[in-house]
Amino acid sequence: MDAATLNLLRDSAGVPFYPVVFQGLYVLTWALHAAFVLLALGSMGLSLVGVTQQKTSASWKMLTPHLIQTGKISISVLIVLGVAPLLFTQVIYDPNWYVTNSLSGLLVFAFIYILILGYLTYYWYYYANKKGSSSSLFIGTFSFLVLVVAGVLMHNFAVESIQPDKWMQWYAPNGVVDTSGTNFHIDAIRLAFMVSLAIPVVGIFLQNYSQFLSSRRDFSDEYLTFTNAMGTKIATIGLIISAVLYAVWTFQAGVLLHPLSIATVIGVVVLLLFAMKNSNSYVTTGVLVVVALLISGMRELIKYQIMANLGYDVYGYPMNIDWPTTIMFFSTFLSLGVVGVSFIVTMAWNVGKSEGVFDAENHVPTRKLGKATLYILIAWCAVYMGWGMIVLFKNVLT
Amino acid sequence: MDHIGLFPLFYFPEIGSAWLMGITGTIHILASHTSVGAAILFAFLAHKAYTENRPDLYDYMKRYGMFLLIFSYVIGSITGPGIWYTATAASPRGISALIHNFVWVWATEWVFFVYEVVGVFALIYFIGKIDRKTHLRLTYTFALASVGTLMLIIGIISFMMWPGTDAFYTTGSASDAFFGINTFPHMFLRIGFMVMLSGVIGLLISSALPDQELRKELTRKMGFVSMLGGFLTMFFFMWYVSTLPESAELLLEIYLPDIMATRIWLMVAFTVYFAVAIIFPRMISRPLAATMIAVVLIVGLWPGEKLRESLRKPYVAGRYVYSNQIISRDVPGKGIKGEVEKLARVGFLKASPWVPERLKTITPENKLEAGELLTKRACSNCHSLEPNGKFRPLMAKVAGWDAATIKAFMQNSLATGAITYMPKIDLPDEEFDAMAAWIATQNQQGAK
Repeated sequence: MDAATLNLLRDSAGVPFYPVVFQGLYVLTWALHAAFVLLALGSMGLSLVGVTQQKTSASWKMLTPHLIQTGKISISVLIVLGVAPLLFTQVIYDPNWYVTNSLSGLLVFAFIYILILGYLTYYWYYYANKKGSSSSLFIGTFSFLVLVVAGVLMHNFAVESIQPDKWMQWYAPNGVVDTSGTNFHIDAIRLAFMVSLAIPVVGIFLQNYSQFLSSRRDFSDEYLTFTNAMGTKIATIGLIISAVLYAVWTFQAGVLLHPLSIATVIGVVVLLLFAMKNSNSYVTTGVLVVVALLISGMRELIKYQIMANLGYDVYGYPMNIDWPTTIMFFSTFLSLGVVGVSFIVTMAWNVGKSEGVFDAENHVPTRKLGKATLYILIAWCAVYMGWGMIVLFKNVLT
Repeated sequence: MDHIGLFPLFYFPEIGSAWLMGITGTIHILASHTSVGAAILFAFLAHKAYTENRPDLYDYMKRYGMFLLIFSYVIGSITGPGIWYTATAASPRGISALIHNFVWVWATEWVFFVYEVVGVFALIYFIGKIDRKTHLRLTYTFALASVGTLMLIIGIISFMMWPGTDAFYTTGSASDAFFGINTFPHMFLRIGFMVMLSGVIGLLISSALPDQELRKELTRKMGFVSMLGGFLTMFFFMWYVSTLPESAELLLEIYLPDIMATRIWLMVAFTVYFAVAIIFPRMISRPLAATMIAVVLIVGLWPGEKLRESLRKPYVAGRYVYSNQIISRDVPGKGIKGEVEKLARVGFLKASPWVPERLKTITPENKLEAGELLTKRACSNCHSLEPNGKFRPLMAKVAGWDAATIKAFMQNSLATGAITYMPKIDLPDEEFDAMAAWIATQNQQGAK
């Protein structure tokens, strides 16, 4: 695919703000999305082990439903967080996104229903385990596999999107056009690396889980030691596996020695040391977030380089800056996004720490955040209506 | 350069790729509208539970909430981006036009969506775990955030129909595109429908409550809520229809008699259903409530969405992107150039970067193959192409026509833009010739 065609496939409306901002938002939101994908995958997988152990182990009996619940919430969060990178990538890499979706149109359609099936059966798994049903292992395994298939399809879209030189060959093999939308291509090493990250993520989650519950009197020391030790073991082994796969993946992509890649390697080593030492899992999680951002940056670097080599310059995308909607997004992100999510997270943290009812009304930070969220939303609705009326009056009456 | 920025073509046999989006969209609307309606309902119930000290209402909210989690926040939250996915496969340039005009609006909606999804878990699981006043505040914010998602998406889907004035085309401003003349009527229409749906789903939950007194009280309340929602829907529907473009009015004249007949039957059936819920609440059983939800989906939503999609024709976005992915007009505010004339000059085969070299020039050997590809490119966004296709079957519309008649129709009607609800498709003579030849062969197969 030549530069002229790639540039022609860009939307002629241009982008409404600086492309680098969309690129940054893409890297940030993909990292957030991936964190919950990995947590969902890791907690689901480990819960299946738990289902086989919970009849004979009191610790597994307590941990398994918590892992299932973690997986359940993580899937919801990964879906909602996944919307943002999906949005930002098609702003600046629209040729890649739309070509891929057309080449694999049928799989794109199937992906939605496969994900629904996987998530619905996951709820079934949740209730089956809650009731102590003997079929919960089967249902859980089925759900897990279906969700993995959805993940592999997503991987397929990502891999196809960075191979513009093969698009025409996939669309019209031997000169015969194929409109069936059934193209399917994977990069086994890249996929294995991404999936392997679920292991350290669930390990570090267990360390956090143990540290978080250590202030609760209704969880025994024995149980917390069990989860903490298991977390450290899983995180350590997982990080070593991921590090090896990372080296193979970036070597294959020709970016192993790029400064960003070296920074990622250093990040992984630091993370490994923190996870092994396990003195404060919250700090380890902070390092994990940095590593996740670096990995997201690596994905973007690979894509950027492939496209730049073909003559497609993201930063040269024509712009038609739209200030009103730009301001709307950033003000909403900083107000509702920060304050509102902080309100719920603060509340969730304190509910988790409390053994009875958490009196948030008498907890100053939660009360203030709650009130601020409510006022922000009311103000937002008022601005929206006022803005809409002014625009309409201007356009209809003049 | 003769190329136009077209993407590869995806075609789903028998149904047509665009209808895949319609299927996902209809399911999404049921789930997402329920979730917004339920958020408003929750605020009402939480207020009542708090001010009247009614712990039993919290139990009801929890049951409803668990149902909502599975129904709306599994199906709804997946089919939402799912519409994007299928739209990109079916109408890549249509969705691209929306994305490049409204990316910040969608990004803002995403912030609301994050708050909504995190909030729904807190709202349900924190019942009995946080004090009631804070829970009440949470339900208020949740309701406002849910309505906020509607306020944001409504401007985009209204723009898909049309902005209603010329302002957007000259300024290119997203505000002028977003706040079109049917944005607000459309928003209130959907709020009415959401309120009604929240009541319809609420009846399913209340009908299964073990406490008979509570069941009676809540079934009655849900009956009132549904009745109010239904009334608002009908009221704002009339306002909405008055803000549609002229081409839509023409289509409405064609479709309206059938639609109105169905709508009147639906209105009568649901008025009776809601009245029964209010007057004889014990008669509302779970199977009946579930059946009525299915009726809303199959008889109400699916035809409604099909109608909305039809009324947009021949466009898929902002009345400048045709359903066949060609830009129909200039949009000076954005520097967008119409492509109809260029297409007439060079044809689809040379304009598309995705046509293999051996098909760029039509020969007697490849004429039918080129004709098939051209027909898919020009027609398949709206029509199924198989001899016995399911949705808007092209072959049924030209049944019994020979190649010459088909070609004459295309040159006299399509190429001139005489049919207001179809794109103006002006192509070189040899491309019309190839299309007509291929359609005639399929046509004959269907007739056998």
